[in-house]
Amino acid sequence: MDQISVPVNLEQVSKIFRDPKTKSDVHAVREAQLEIGGGELVTLLGPSGCGKTTMLRMIGGFELPTRGRIRIGGEDVTFLPPNARATATVFQSYGLFPHLDVFDNVAYGLRVRKIAAPQIETRVMEALDLVGLKALARRAPGRLSGGQQQRVALARSLVVRPQVLLLDEPLSNLDALLREQMRVEIRRIQKTLGITAVYVTHDRVEAMSLSDRVVVMKEGVIQQVGPPSTIYERPDSQFVAGFVGKVAFFPVEVANTTAAGPVACTLDGKPVMAGSVAPGVGKKAMLMARPESLRLGNPGEGACDGTVSTNVYLGSSVESFVATEYGEILVQIDDPSMSRVRAEGSRISISFDETRVRLLPVAG
Amino acid sequence: MFSVLRGSYEKTILQDKKELLLALTRSAPGENGDVEAWLEEARKTYPALHLLYVRGIPGVDEIQEFSLDAELKALWQARQEDKAFKTGIEAASYLETFVMPDAVRLGSGESLLIFSPVLNAEGDTARGIVVAAVDETVLTSFNNLTYALSLIAFFVFALGFGIATFSRDPPTGYAILVLFSIVLLFVAYPLFTAVRLTFVQEGRFSLAIWKDILTNRQYLGALAGSIQLGALTATLSTIIGFLFAFFVSRTSMRGKKLVTALATLPVISPPFSLTLSIILLFGNNGLITKGLLGLENFTIYGLGGLGLVQTISMFPIAFLTLAGVLDAIDSTLEDASLDLNASRWETFMRVTLPLTMPGILSAWLLVFTNSLADFANPLLLSGSFRVLSVESYIEVTGMNRLGNGAALSILLLLPTLTAFFVQRAWVAKKSFVVVTGKPSGRLSDLASKPMRIFLLVFVVLTSLFIVSLYGTIVAGCFVKNWGIDYTFTTANIVEALQRGREAMISTMTLAGIATPIAGFIAMIGAVLVVRKQFPGKRLLEALMMTPFAVPGTLIGIAYILAFNEPPFLLVGTGAILVICYVIRELPVGLEGGVATLRQIDPSIEEAASDLGADQATVFRTVILPLIRPAFISSMSYTFVRSMTAVSAIIFLISARWYHITIQIYNFSENIRFGLASVLATALIFIVLAVFGLMRVIVKKSEHLEKTVTVQ
Repeated sequence: MDQISVPVNLEQVSKIFRDPKTKSDVHAVREAQLEIGGGELVTLLGPSGCGKTTMLRMIGGFELPTRGRIRIGGEDVTFLPPNARATATVFQSYGLFPHLDVFDNVAYGLRVRKIAAPQIETRVMEALDLVGLKALARRAPGRLSGGQQQRVALARSLVVRPQVLLLDEPLSNLDALLREQMRVEIRRIQKTLGITAVYVTHDRVEAMSLSDRVVVMKEGVIQQVGPPSTIYERPDSQFVAGFVGKVAFFPVEVANTTAAGPVACTLDGKPVMAGSVAPGVGKKAMLMARPESLRLGNPGEGACDGTVSTNVYLGSSVESFVATEYGEILVQIDDPSMSRVRAEGSRISISFDETRVRLLPVAG
Repeated sequence: MFSVLRGSYEKTILQDKKELLLALTRSAPGENGDVEAWLEEARKTYPALHLLYVRGIPGVDEIQEFSLDAELKALWQARQEDKAFKTGIEAASYLETFVMPDAVRLGSGESLLIFSPVLNAEGDTARGIVVAAVDETVLTSFNNLTYALSLIAFFVFALGFGIATFSRDPPTGYAILVLFSIVLLFVAYPLFTAVRLTFVQEGRFSLAIWKDILTNRQYLGALAGSIQLGALTATLSTIIGFLFAFFVSRTSMRGKKLVTALATLPVISPPFSLTLSIILLFGNNGLITKGLLGLENFTIYGLGGLGLVQTISMFPIAFLTLAGVLDAIDSTLEDASLDLNASRWETFMRVTLPLTMPGILSAWLLVFTNSLADFANPLLLSGSFRVLSVESYIEVTGMNRLGNGAALSILLLLPTLTAFFVQRAWVAKKSFVVVTGKPSGRLSDLASKPMRIFLLVFVVLTSLFIVSLYGTIVAGCFVKNWGIDYTFTTANIVEALQRGREAMISTMTLAGIATPIAGFIAMIGAVLVVRKQFPGKRLLEALMMTPFAVPGTLIGIAYILAFNEPPFLLVGTGAILVICYVIRELPVGLEGGVATLRQIDPSIEEAASDLGADQATVFRTVILPLIRPAFISSMSYTFVRSMTAVSAIIFLISARWYHITIQIYNFSENIRFGLASVLATALIFIVLAVFGLMRVIVKKSEHLEKTVTVQ
């Protein structure tokens, strides 16, 4: 199954819904600008109601944009109906045809395209083989497990050789173990076929683990686009930092905003250093620190003092919740030995790993 | 539709010509007048009209012909003895105007001949005949023009509509357009005509009819009677329905399935059948009243008998509603109450009853509105007791006062609408029904032992009574003369089948035609309502649902008013019956389709569309197979309801298109209970067969319903 890798472009795409109850307009997507490269897997990540599914449905043709253009492989498809687009969608609830068995479900798209029967047979079996369901071709979808239904949906989308694969929270109905397994599976198949894919999820771990790039969205607006490591380590806003991982914020005053390298700033008068700076940082800024870039020390030694309130033992690490004047802060202690973990109730101080903390503009 | 339009245009034009001619002949000179001058005058005013004046009636008097048109005169002389001419002459001699059905060749073109009488001074005898030749090309060209104009207008509208709203999805656009045309023409227009009629007296706006209706004691008595009967029936039905529902849903006794089947039997049984059996048992010559008890002054006709029959036919509605409500209440709530040391009685009063209360009210309202709209039972059984539905029928057929009939039917609509809005405002708000994912197993019996015995006895006795009613009808088939001579005979069957054959065949034919049409319209309507967004959707939905609330008598009256004259002359045809069936059963089919479709995950259809199927293919390959159960049950429901219809179609039947239920009614009215029993029994078996067939077919696709909502 050879696939041609085509890019997808969203040009200033907006979608406005009219709320029939309140008679007011709802901006589901605001002027989204996005280039997805051929063969790339891009995740749309955000809380529910952020417009990620609407964006996917516009690429699939299920919704029409209020403004803007959508191109697939350079061709303008903005107003084409779904059946005239080279996209295939894997739906959150799979949308399997309950009156057809697995084989006929997968064959549906080929039959609609009036492809010859023998060829349908080969291509369907090939697709079922790809997702490991060859043996269940004659089962009714109702008699499959959630994971198997998911695979059928995937096979049904892939068999028509779409140029773009759209996945709308495809794993949200599966249990945790299966989810991890399917995640790997989807990534493997997508890379094997070299197909362009857009993946919608609200699960940050899912987004991090399978995408080439992550698009973080909030209230219809794209917040940041970048590879998972950038999004996690070098977010541009408090929202992105908070959404993609556990984080603590400290309000600081910046001494010199123009410096390129580590920047000196003060946390309530105490000097601290920040490894990097996000665009748009002014005199007052937020210092973001991930749990793994914080260290515990004796009182008075670090940037701020606090009391250990709870220790949570996780095997490979311990999470210490520390009550400070900046709120409850989570410190992750890797490779925990009893000497590094402080007893609950003990007074401690927190210090930063200067290379890994980052200055962000104050939200608001 | 266009042939109907065209036909009616032709009729209108001919009508005009006929009237013109009638006026002309009035002005025609008498026995000794100057005919030539009159003909000259006429030609000047109406050049398109060729006239022949015949003085005297051929075959009776000495005749004399005058005409300015030599060809017409020649034609007259040549073909005077033809059959068509003779008919025309005869009609004119009986003072009627006659249009010859076939055109004749006259000069260069085709013409239609119209025969019109010339009256004497008193206006009671024909003194002569005027034959007018109307150029048929005038007619057809006018027809073609209007035909073409309306066609063009329709297509321009359709095209504009389609392009504007559905450039992406033309099939949907057409479906909307077609459904809108149907409901506007066959729901909105007739009802509007009926309502308008009640406000018009001698061509102008007037409240006279309403004043009459609202002050006349007879009409007010009928209104009071309807409400009285409705309240009685609703109360009794709700009590019996609740006991049945409680028995089925809250006790662990056997035979529940049988009880449910027996109790739902009256819902699908044809009209008149229960009434018939009540009359056979309790009527003036009834088996029980006269035969066993020897009562002389007892009468079943009136409020009591009606209440009894209606309760038996309508308590299943309450039963099914309440069983649904009781089943939906999680019984762990009751277990919790018992666990907290409440007694069974306290649990019932403090938990079960309050939770069921909205259900009880809606069951009551449902039966109440059904009782008001009921027409068949009161028709046979009301005696001197007056109810609105029968009163409006008598106004229309007996007194020929259509306005009053329509007004009375509209009056019937008011309590129904009130009930509907009460239901919406109150019941919907107070609905506590907690639908949990899976019905939990019943842990304890809520009814105490004496209570259980009481319930059992009650349910068994009621069921037995229902069974015996049906038994009576079957017995009625084989009895020579019920009440007088109980000897066994099969003569009834032979006679009934012979006399009822025509009606049976025409009813089945028309119901058979209506069924698939209603099914498709309902399913397409359901798809539009559930899945599509378009301007006017609420209006379309409301119009499709309207026939549900409108009493059958009102629909019947509205149809004879609206389709009795051009442009839509349908009264007397089979088509009007088919349309009536389709429109009346549309709401139920629509509801069924909507309910089924709402359970189907929209992403199933989106997936099909995504995989390359266009809208029509999606409907055919995905939607239709998935809503097949609703489709089939909607169709069998339509078929059965059409076969057993009474209230609306009693106004619409004709000698050619008779209806089986009306035949049963006629037999009963003429005290031929044996014949009525045979037809009623036959109808019951047809109904049971159709529902049986439906169950078999639907069961086959039952696996669908289970997997439809799989996540």
